[in-house]
Amino acid sequence: MDLSGKSYRTFIERQEALKKQFSEKQAEKQHSKGKLTAHERISLVFDSGSFEEIDAFVTPADQPVEFGKVDRTYGDGVIVGHGKVNGRLVFAYAQDFTIMGGSLGVVHAKKIAKIQEMALKMGSPIIGLMDSGGARIQEGVASLSGYATIFQNIIHSSGIIPQISVVMGPAAGGAVYSPALTDFVFMTSHTSYMFVTGPNVVKEVLNEEVTSEQLGGAEIHARKSGVAHMIYDDEENTILALKKFLSYLPSNNVENPPMVIDDGATPDINEKLRDIIPDDPNKAYDVKDVINLIIDKNSFFETSELFAGNIVTGFGRLKGKTIGIVANQPKVLAGVLDIDSSTKGARFIRFCDAFNIPILTLADVPGFLPGIDQEHAGIIRHGAKMLFAYSEATVPKITVILRKAYGGAFIVMNSKNLGGDFSFAWPTAEIAVMGPDGAVAILYRKELAESKNPAELKKELVKKYRDKIANPFIADECGYIDEVIDPAVTRKKIVSAFNALSNKWVKVPARKHGNMPL
Amino acid sequence: MNENLKIKKLYALSSENRKFSFSVPLKNKIRIGRRDYVVQLKSDEKYGTYILWKNRKYPVEIVRSRQNKYEILFNDISYTFTVETPFSLQRMKVINSTKGVNEQESLKAPMPGKIIDVLVREGSSVLRGEPVVILEAMKMQNEIQSPVNGKVIKVSTKAGCNVMKDDVLIVIKVE
Repeated sequence: MDLSGKSYRTFIERQEALKKQFSEKQAEKQHSKGKLTAHERISLVFDSGSFEEIDAFVTPADQPVEFGKVDRTYGDGVIVGHGKVNGRLVFAYAQDFTIMGGSLGVVHAKKIAKIQEMALKMGSPIIGLMDSGGARIQEGVASLSGYATIFQNIIHSSGIIPQISVVMGPAAGGAVYSPALTDFVFMTSHTSYMFVTGPNVVKEVLNEEVTSEQLGGAEIHARKSGVAHMIYDDEENTILALKKFLSYLPSNNVENPPMVIDDGATPDINEKLRDIIPDDPNKAYDVKDVINLIIDKNSFFETSELFAGNIVTGFGRLKGKTIGIVANQPKVLAGVLDIDSSTKGARFIRFCDAFNIPILTLADVPGFLPGIDQEHAGIIRHGAKMLFAYSEATVPKITVILRKAYGGAFIVMNSKNLGGDFSFAWPTAEIAVMGPDGAVAILYRKELAESKNPAELKKELVKKYRDKIANPFIADECGYIDEVIDPAVTRKKIVSAFNALSNKWVKVPARKHGNMPL
Repeated sequence: MNENLKIKKLYALSSENRKFSFSVPLKNKIRIGRRDYVVQLKSDEKYGTYILWKNRKYPVEIVRSRQNKYEILFNDISYTFTVETPFSLQRMKVINSTKGVNEQESLKAPMPGKIIDVLVREGSSVLRGEPVVILEAMKMQNEIQSPVNGKVIKVSTKAGCNVMKDDVLIVIKVE
């Protein structure tokens, strides 16, 4: 083909100029910090050769007032486009820290907004790979308006397409709200930070010395604040996990989650399940052992693993179909519901509901965490979130009560009368208004006070309570649970129950939106 | 776009910091030390996944995997290792050189409760994940595990004590 014409010459020159812009030196600079470049990240995310970049040649907007220098580079510090991830269409933007610190200028923001609108229109997930110093000061208020547009787009797309943020560098100031608004946040340990105000400002205003890592490192957000849902040791693992994560999700709220072929490796009846619950009701066990024996082998993908470990949330597959799992974890804080676990659970349930992912609940909960700490911090309104989320969800919902299900917490954990579709209980279940010790202390206060040997009497009464009341059989006879099942057949029962629910359809009264306690 | 990133080689880093490299896609020949071994990774319904070496079958099972960390059961012995790429190894070096070492770790009570048992003494060595204190709270016995490998330098609680949330129970010197 003859490309010597004048128009082709410009075309080729531009191509070469763009190539030159991404020099080895810049890549080296990122690598020396243990980070990859935006291009490398994109090529890791997408199937080989499938990424199509758009707007590669846009240039930064003119500054309204001359103040500081803006590099006139192609692309304005962000790569946007679409491609295939495991064969499915996904949109993405990746901020490039090597160009003006990945700062967000007007054109940079417009590119992101454009790809967000495309993703929404096509009904495909969008991924943001973030590595940016924040708003571009040189461009002033215009760059702030750029943030606002991005936020607005995220909120419009919320619940329609899955939106995932991967923070791989700094995100400070207003920029943090972009990941915060999306469905899931991935972070890379040691090289990513998120904070509303950075260490310098903290020092100036509060006179507190703190490092970026201590203030808003990945560890902190994964363990304490709960902002980050998944953290990984390096960028390659972060991206691998992201790709695996996407394989569980539907592309939008109209589709059903993707199915994989069931390899039949997981036995439907597994007698190991009978031995997990310890005989002593005060002894803990790991609920993840139960999860792993129920769902397809090696299919569990846990979300928010390090935050509020007393509730376990995550995705798994049942005969190749995606389900969401919410389970109390007796091993951590006795599996109580507290503020953090309630908000974690509620947000996960709402995600599942928005994207047609059926929910399996495994209940073993001693109740809500008592104490001044929790009450004063608002366990009432935070606990209400969980109640609201479960009751509002219209996807198929199944509960298995493994052991304790006491009081308000029994109601919250997707009980039958809260709209749970099927409710099963293991013979080890204890369903009652409150635990044996508390109940006996209240019901027999007088007798215990008058008794010569209160300890002995209490022990006797507790045993009687446990035999008579704290078991699944009364609830079964009253129809508050559907069936008491042999733990070994749990998987089989759940598979058949979810199959029965596959055409579940609920008519929701028309309203603008409910008013969830926030 | 960037062909350099095509991973051709991966490393397995064992818990004792021994490094093994293998090629991607996996070939039947692996190199350990200076010798090549011909092994095959196979699976069938009867035996599950197994490694075939010199016509013998050695069953292998992934017990737990979290991101690039694996715990496998091979021939009934458990091994833990991580899988690293050339870049992640380089990154590890960069981070280890800049990261300050946290020398002490204070173990705090995660919730108010009563100490049932203290399983270590001052001077005992502990491994990561080893239970050190049993705390009863919400009528449940909670194992509090050591987050690090190290040596106990202070025990500030004893069996029978009532503790509040965030009370320091044990101080461990990281090793």
